[in-house]
Amino acid sequence: MLVGEIDRRAFCDTVLERAKELGAEYADIRIVSRDEEHIDLRTGKVETLQRESSYGFGVRVIVDGAWGFSSSPRLTIEDGRRVAEEAVRIARASASVKRKDVWLAPVDVHEGAFKSIFKIDPFDVPLEDKIGLLRDADRVLRQNDKIKLTDCSMDFWKYDQVFASTEGAYIEQFKIESGAGVAATAIEGAEVQKRSYPCAFGGDYAAAGYEFVESLMLVDHCEEVAKQAVELLSAPPCPTGEKTLILEGSMLALQVHESCGHPIELDRVFGTEASYAGTSFLTMDKLNNFRYGSDEVNITADATLKQGLGGFDFDDEGVPAQCVDIVKDGIFSGYLTSRETAAELGGTSMGAMRSDGWNRIPLIRMTNINLLPGDWSFDELIADTPDGIYAADVKSWSIDDKRLNFQFGTEIAWEIKDGSLGRVFKNPIYSSMTPAFWGGCDAICNERDWHLWGVPNCGKGEPMQVAHVAHGAAPARFRNVQVGVGR
Amino acid sequence: MRLSEERAAELARAAVAATQADAAEAIVSASDSALTRFAGNRIHQNVAEDDAQLTIRAVLGTKTGVASTNRLDDEGRATCAAAAVNAARHAPEDPGFPGLPGDAPYEPLVREHAEALGFDAGRRAEAVRDIIAASSSRSLTAAGTVARNGYTLAVANSLDVTRATSSADVRATVLSMDDAGGSGWASWLGADLSGFSPRNLGERAATTAERAKGPASLEPGTYIVVLAPEAVSDLLDFMGYLGFGSKAFAEGGSFLVDKVGATIVDERISITDDVRSPQMIGLGFDFEGMPRQRVPLIERGMAREPVTDSYYASKLGMPNTGHALPAPNPYGPLPLNLTMDPGDVAEEDMIASLGRGVYVTRFHYVNVEDPMKLVLTGMTRDGTFLIENGRLTQSLKNLRFTQNVLEAFSHVGAIGAERSLIGPGEGGATLVPALMLER
Repeated sequence: MLVGEIDRRAFCDTVLERAKELGAEYADIRIVSRDEEHIDLRTGKVETLQRESSYGFGVRVIVDGAWGFSSSPRLTIEDGRRVAEEAVRIARASASVKRKDVWLAPVDVHEGAFKSIFKIDPFDVPLEDKIGLLRDADRVLRQNDKIKLTDCSMDFWKYDQVFASTEGAYIEQFKIESGAGVAATAIEGAEVQKRSYPCAFGGDYAAAGYEFVESLMLVDHCEEVAKQAVELLSAPPCPTGEKTLILEGSMLALQVHESCGHPIELDRVFGTEASYAGTSFLTMDKLNNFRYGSDEVNITADATLKQGLGGFDFDDEGVPAQCVDIVKDGIFSGYLTSRETAAELGGTSMGAMRSDGWNRIPLIRMTNINLLPGDWSFDELIADTPDGIYAADVKSWSIDDKRLNFQFGTEIAWEIKDGSLGRVFKNPIYSSMTPAFWGGCDAICNERDWHLWGVPNCGKGEPMQVAHVAHGAAPARFRNVQVGVGR
Repeated sequence: MRLSEERAAELARAAVAATQADAAEAIVSASDSALTRFAGNRIHQNVAEDDAQLTIRAVLGTKTGVASTNRLDDEGRATCAAAAVNAARHAPEDPGFPGLPGDAPYEPLVREHAEALGFDAGRRAEAVRDIIAASSSRSLTAAGTVARNGYTLAVANSLDVTRATSSADVRATVLSMDDAGGSGWASWLGADLSGFSPRNLGERAATTAERAKGPASLEPGTYIVVLAPEAVSDLLDFMGYLGFGSKAFAEGGSFLVDKVGATIVDERISITDDVRSPQMIGLGFDFEGMPRQRVPLIERGMAREPVTDSYYASKLGMPNTGHALPAPNPYGPLPLNLTMDPGDVAEEDMIASLGRGVYVTRFHYVNVEDPMKLVLTGMTRDGTFLIENGRLTQSLKNLRFTQNVLEAFSHVGAIGAERSLIGPGEGGATLVPALMLER
């Protein structure tokens, strides 16, 4: 494939050859072209209307048993060689402070070109159509005069990437992602309340085209969003105490993200994120013998679901996408791994190495981390709950550096009394310790209520990287959870 | 490889000229960074990058559109300009848009330091070795980073504004840990290598980690706390993001709303955005090319007006303080160089003065529960201790706090005499002392 005047395959071969000449035991290169479009309408004003493009390449090498990485936005032969040389120099510096040589688990070498599935390229959709949709949504939200702030947004990404390695891999991948959401903030005196659709913090996202945005039917839901935000202004505070808590799917997606997705990153377990994001309570001794949750809890890491933000054909080390058990019948069963960390376990990588751009090394990142569905319908679950709280949509979140002690807030909650949803409550928060929380899970809704929620803002690493991941979840019930009210 | 100031300014002016609109603004930013990361007493990641980005804001009447690219050649520039104009063409009218700002008097702020830029991979590896030494000699493990960054920024617009500047900084962090849960933290940030002692940094973290062995639980409750500068910086970052910007103020979502001129915290607290404060490392103008003004935000306990950019200055009838972020900017203008005035009490004297209290080195995963009341929640980490009879005694397991920060800042016991430069966090770099808070 030609990009400008560069034949990408030939460019990769040249750069990798230079790295080998300089003594690299292993080298890989990624060329990444990334286009983005962001549209954000806030309270009737277009705050963001932007197209962004970024293009470059990055080279990873192992020299003298240690890693080095360099990158450049200039795809010239001269810069290709320079970057390879710099990566080797950096690796030699790394080798002066190492404890043992880097060792990579083996991987089958692949070649090929792969493309994600989409119907409508969002970058071909006229701007006036996209802005028109957001303006319609904004208009409906602000029909209620207590709605003082609105946020209606769409985001699109397009990736065109090549991965090649000194082992002979050459993989081209093309992917499109789309997402949208709306939110309304009601203000009355000192009371501020917000509601979102289809979920909080920008909405829902998928590896899909503009057809995904159309499927959200944003405008149709705006009246209800505004109504609920206003209702929250005069709602009573959420009762406090130890409660039976049912969490809505997108809230549960964040719960999975924070309390499972991060602690299963094997590099965190090995301490390489200790100084920044922290470590993990899921230490190696717990693999296959630690009760993470009740028997109802089954969690997988599934990169083969290509419609999810965490889906792909190959990770950024050329490892094919896989589905692996993370929690099986409540027992902790698996990690997210790389070739280097998998080698420590004596196995092969399950393919979780992902980078957010050409200028960043791949790190172990979540793929699609899914709480598998159970057997209950939502109506059955509510009917089976004599006394509880149903909480929905993320408002705030905080968790400790080992991913144990957490406190999350939701936008809204409803009382469950005698098997029916009742009064609305404001400012609900809940807190717990991760194994105790998941140990109290006694019912999960079925596939009908299961949804793969896209999360485009997972931060990790130094320098910081932002990964696009996803979590499948259906509403679920948890017993004996400490529920409180945000002050 | 990083663009010079002259070349960046030239590219910005060329981009403005290439944009066929009523008005245009171009930002050219170039970075040249390297970061050496270590954990388990070894280097495990070691990276370098350089990149440059062109961002064009096109104006058609009161409509604006933005496009960015890292392709700085003629074709890339032309494509970016066309995309920005197309975006502007489709944007709704914004009656509140006052136009791009015209030129304003500006005194250049020199920040470049060649020594920092020469901090190559070999020297960073030596620094890492020196940092790790204190931990490994105590059977502790060290994790952290040593980084150097170089940055060039140029802003030009069709009202004859052209500005260019460059800067560099060196940063290092270290977390020292034992196997049983004790940990200690230290960090350093500066515009050059003078004052950077990897050995001392490693020593500080390791000493705290040793002291933190065998942490015990503490009953939930209200305590007198001594916050190290790192912890104070976390709180200031959130104050900056949530309330010191004029967008939140204009929307009624800032804790400064209806409070300007009123006392909102202890009169010994003064918080200012001041890039020209001697230790700061920020840039002298904002992303519209406007000079960054010194802005008192809380002055002797009293709330003052927020920082502005051209848009919100016009909207609120306030002066433009030069705090614009790059367009498109959904966050509004924000302070990036917060300072808190020092007091007159050494941190060790704060500790010595207490019969009972808690010492906090830093916070983790702080988030917002109520932006108007500035209620934050988070955890402590990496060095939390009980203070008893004037000394740090028992190491404590990490604690969750949920606190109204304005309320906490209204009960100040003492303010530290020395300040540390911390960052960059979400709010940029902050220059802050330790604080003793009585509730």
